[in-house]
Amino acid sequence: MPVDSPTLSPSSLMLDTLPSPGLPSDECPRRARIQLDLLLLAIEALDLDGSEAMLVAARELALEGLIKGRVHLWLLRGTNPMRRYSQRRPLQLEEAKALVMVICTLSRRLTVLIRQLLIGYQQLSDKQLTLDHHFRLADYLSRFRSHFRARMNPRRAGVISYSTDDKLDDLAVELLQQLLLCSGVLGPQRLWSSLFDGEVA
Amino acid sequence: MTIQRQYTLPHCSLILEGLSTDATDPLAPLTVLMNAECRLPGATDAILSGGREFLDSLVVAVSRYGQQLLSGVHYPGVAASAPLVGLKPGAGSYHHLIVQQPPLGEPVSDVNAQPPLDVKLSTVQFYDLMEAVDQLLADTQTLPDLTAQFQAVSRRLVQPTEPIAKRAAPAALGAAALAAAGLALFFVPPPTFEPSRPESEATTPAETSQTPPATPPETAPAAETSNGATAENAPADDGDLARLENAPAITDPAAIALLQSDVTRRLQEAWANGPRPSGNLDYRMVVSENGDILGYKYETDLALAEVDNTPLPKLTFVPVAGAEPVQEPVAEFMTTFTPEGEVVVKPRETPTPAATGPTGELPTLAAKVTDGDRIRALNSTLYDDILAKLEPLSASEALRFRVRLTESGEVVGYEPINAAAGLLAAETPLPSLVTAPDSTLEQADFLVVFTEGGVLEVNPWDGWP
Repeated sequence: MPVDSPTLSPSSLMLDTLPSPGLPSDECPRRARIQLDLLLLAIEALDLDGSEAMLVAARELALEGLIKGRVHLWLLRGTNPMRRYSQRRPLQLEEAKALVMVICTLSRRLTVLIRQLLIGYQQLSDKQLTLDHHFRLADYLSRFRSHFRARMNPRRAGVISYSTDDKLDDLAVELLQQLLLCSGVLGPQRLWSSLFDGEVA
Repeated sequence: MTIQRQYTLPHCSLILEGLSTDATDPLAPLTVLMNAECRLPGATDAILSGGREFLDSLVVAVSRYGQQLLSGVHYPGVAASAPLVGLKPGAGSYHHLIVQQPPLGEPVSDVNAQPPLDVKLSTVQFYDLMEAVDQLLADTQTLPDLTAQFQAVSRRLVQPTEPIAKRAAPAALGAAALAAAGLALFFVPPPTFEPSRPESEATTPAETSQTPPATPPETAPAAETSNGATAENAPADDGDLARLENAPAITDPAAIALLQSDVTRRLQEAWANGPRPSGNLDYRMVVSENGDILGYKYETDLALAEVDNTPLPKLTFVPVAGAEPVQEPVAEFMTTFTPEGEVVVKPRETPTPAATGPTGELPTLAAKVTDGDRIRALNSTLYDDILAKLEPLSASEALRFRVRLTESGEVVGYEPINAAAGLLAAETPLPSLVTAPDSTLEQADFLVVFTEGGVLEVNPWDGWP
């Protein structure tokens, strides 16, 4: 049977579950761009193959049209103004939706690890112990710190505020909690609407 | 038919009991909620339960708090009525679930009110609670009317990250600094503008006041306007000559001749189309070495009245700092504009031989007479000598001279102290008294004053011994 209209791709159906936030333009606000890139950075720190897994996940989610490959993904993440090689190009809402789907998919796969790390963190901070006592957590934190320092522009005001190890560790744990909240059934919707908190009219 | 739906996670189990509208269909959705029960093993032993109101409140609280954790943006709660379920961040990375406990079966009163239940949740426990709620929301078979309502927090509701006092501080500081500066400057008097006039300006009215009786009635307005013009151009014509008085004169005849022809040519060119005067206009003119006309002054009343018809005001070089005396060499010329349209420029013969005579400045006294009696004797000798030859003077003010005598009473020289003395030195007997200009004897200075009343005063220069 001939098809008159092109069938809707599964990705567009999936992205339609994320409502338009009602911004004046089609570009993502600054905080959303930072948040998406930092969450991806946390995933990379959790998973050694994280950057590869992002591309695979994008392919599985049929999002190749929006995330066209390694370089394009790098360009999208480069819209984070804190980056050393920050891109001037805007991040379109559709591209941000694709990144949200990738983040939520990967965080769901990493749920077990994230839970372990968070429970370990809770136990250590309850006992007032340093985070070095949890091997896996310390590994994640040190990897996150080195990723952050390698890629963020140390002269930016937003980066200067994370100048010490402690502050970066706090950021890493906070991102870990956010990744956990993204991993649920309605994770993408929750993350998506949280990106525009305080930005909509 | 009672339906039970259970959403179980490691740290939370949410159990809903309700009825479906269609009793025959086992797959009919649960539409009427009878009881909702939430257990949080590990966090609390209490079983949170309630009806639809409790469940709705739980969903809203969990959704909002989850969004707040994700974005870091605090959602300002509606303070109108305390909701049944609330969530707020606690110390460390803990979260507090606050549940109001309505007494069973009885209306709320002060007597049976119980304190709200406070459940401390770790992040993982909160996540499980949220996930249970999310699964309920996503489940179309249970309470289909209960769906997720995600809405980003409006910009207007977001509290600024910095308190208002901190944000207003820079503006307040700036305003305070401006006020302080304004207050300080209030006491500084505003600068008053005083147009400075050259001293010789004072002589102008005296000179011009002599003109009106002489001018014919029809030229009176012209004279007035030109008077105004001279007042306006005062620094340009009158003042300049005053400034030029001390300038050294050009003495080289060749240079003067060159300047003369140059200035004549320029005046002639500039005056070629000018209106012709009714009579000869004579001006005294001071020209610098490079041919600039530094200043001019009328010699006749007609010249004053018709000065605007000559090119002189245009050609005169107006210096920037008007009060500065000119130090460069100058030459003085007499310029005459004739009614035939000719310009005659002649070098002006210096009428001040006194200035170049023996009265030049006296050198510093080398050998002084110190004997008091001698000085007194010299003083009276000088007085007698001058008085013997004194004739009535035409001076309108006192003439002061410094006169130097040798110890034997001969006059070595004299030096005018004021301007009138310089001009009228020839009228006094002093020039004829100089007898020993090159004397090397011990000398003494005396102050000689010819007052305007004709009285002669002679005193030792350094005061009476």
